[in-house]
Amino acid sequence: MAGPFLEVTATKRYPTFELKVDASVPPGITAVFGPSGSGKTTILDCIAGLKHPEEGEISLNGRVLASSSRKVRLKPEERRIGYMFQEGLLFPHYSVIDNISYGYKRTPRERRWIQPDHLVELLDLGSLLERRPGNLSSGERQRVALARALATSPELLLLDEPLSALDMGLRGRILRYLKAVHRDLAIPMLYVSHAISEVMAIADMVLVLSHGKQLAFDQPRKVLLEPYVHSLVGSGSLENMLDGQVEEHLPPGSLTAVRSGDALLWLSGIPGERPPETPISVAIPARDIIVALDVPSRMSARNILHGRVESIHPIDNNVLVYADVGTSIMAEITPEALENLGLREGQDVYLVIKSSSIIALD
Amino acid sequence: MITTEELQVVALSLQVAAVGTLLALPFALWIGWFLAKSSLPGKALLDTLVSFPLVLPPVATGYVLLLIMGREGPVGKALQSWFGIDVVFTWVAAALAAGLVAMPLMVRAIEVAVAGVDPRLEFASRSLGAGRLWAFFTITAPLARRGIIAAVLLGFARGLGEFGATIVVAGNIPGRTQTIPLFVFNRIQVGDDAAAVRLIVASMVLALLALLVHQHLVRRQPART
Repeated sequence: MAGPFLEVTATKRYPTFELKVDASVPPGITAVFGPSGSGKTTILDCIAGLKHPEEGEISLNGRVLASSSRKVRLKPEERRIGYMFQEGLLFPHYSVIDNISYGYKRTPRERRWIQPDHLVELLDLGSLLERRPGNLSSGERQRVALARALATSPELLLLDEPLSALDMGLRGRILRYLKAVHRDLAIPMLYVSHAISEVMAIADMVLVLSHGKQLAFDQPRKVLLEPYVHSLVGSGSLENMLDGQVEEHLPPGSLTAVRSGDALLWLSGIPGERPPETPISVAIPARDIIVALDVPSRMSARNILHGRVESIHPIDNNVLVYADVGTSIMAEITPEALENLGLREGQDVYLVIKSSSIIALD
Repeated sequence: MITTEELQVVALSLQVAAVGTLLALPFALWIGWFLAKSSLPGKALLDTLVSFPLVLPPVATGYVLLLIMGREGPVGKALQSWFGIDVVFTWVAAALAAGLVAMPLMVRAIEVAVAGVDPRLEFASRSLGAGRLWAFFTITAPLARRGIIAAVLLGFARGLGEFGATIVVAGNIPGRTQTIPLFVFNRIQVGDDAAAVRLIVASMVLALLALLVHQHLVRRQPART
């Protein structure tokens, strides 16, 4: 991975609260994770120039955006940073296309390298262009907000809980759009979230915050294993978020097969018509996965995935087991189960998952 | 029926009130915006200062204006020496007086209207490369437009009725600075009640019209655009 492009050293004081961050952020997707009220949005606001840290320095690609010692404070409009707000904040009196071109028009010609037309295509906005934000669904609004921020050809994209305003069913879709944007445009992103499964699914690095304090800054998988991080996650909320595509349907209304990596997952009751090869994302709660040493037989669960244990991590009162079953999946089991099975790395295992435990995310 | 002279009085009044309101508008927008957005300590002072003409006797407001705009006043002197213009006792002075007394009402209405627009929309605009002014005129002002138009109408209606400050700073010169209230006062003084009543009715109609449109704008729910 390339060297840091964003350097943030900042202290922001409030009467009851102090936010302190020190991070050299590499390009890629970096998550800012923490419970609500931990100061995540404040970091984004400071980087965007909407709030100002009392002390510290923020620089982007070698440009100093703000510095308390050097008395520099660029205005938000001088920072070349795209911001996708939690509530979308589309301009209600402009059409979709006017929202998207609002920032594009304000971007100097020589810096425009992302064209609105391209964003419209990438984010499937073609049929929405003349609509007003009031007539859009929540998922459509987020896509327009994303396009609007990107149309300024920013050097960095800030995303504040882009999925939180969405129904569960739409999250996977927006997440896939975000990944597509990242693949296609290679814009570094800073992604605020309080959902660890989102962080695991999208981020290369994660900065963990609690009550304004920076607890960790590392790769999500490593960070997840830290005891203090696990206590923030909330027990039982660990999920595997996987991308895949529809492979086939059994008779209407029953089961659907989804291929993710080399694993074939059967899930029940996905809504709507999904022809084969439709992209889809699914979530599997880590707690709902059974780990078995022998191939189970005569059993109702529809998924029996064969693979190999990658790593085993005791956390809190539980154990996380990562297994490669054609795609990497984590299962959460009890220490008793671990001991009883005598699990170790490299061992052959079967992961057993009920079709109803796999949730389609769009 | 209404005479040509009286029609001219009505026309002059409309002109004075309209120009006064338009002169006051940029200041009212700026101050209203500032009061809606700011949390600085200076806010309370500005707030009081702006409200002052609302509670001060208009005659006193007019006198202060006279001190500033008169030949010996700082602004009046400058206008006199640079452009050879003497504003005092002209319709422009009447317009200034109307604008000044209308301003507190306008500021209040604009402050409320601007505060009703989500401030983060302006943030969004800034993050998309817009400067403060551009953000205000493309986002906040259009979204607060009903309140702003309502403020203008309210100021206009107030300006139409302005008497005390006007008579001090612009005099009561028939055909030049005599607006409806001054004309009415003048006619009552000389016992021409019929003419006074005619213009009282005219000013009632004008004020009522402005207030009706104002009510209509304020009452209707903000458009879901």
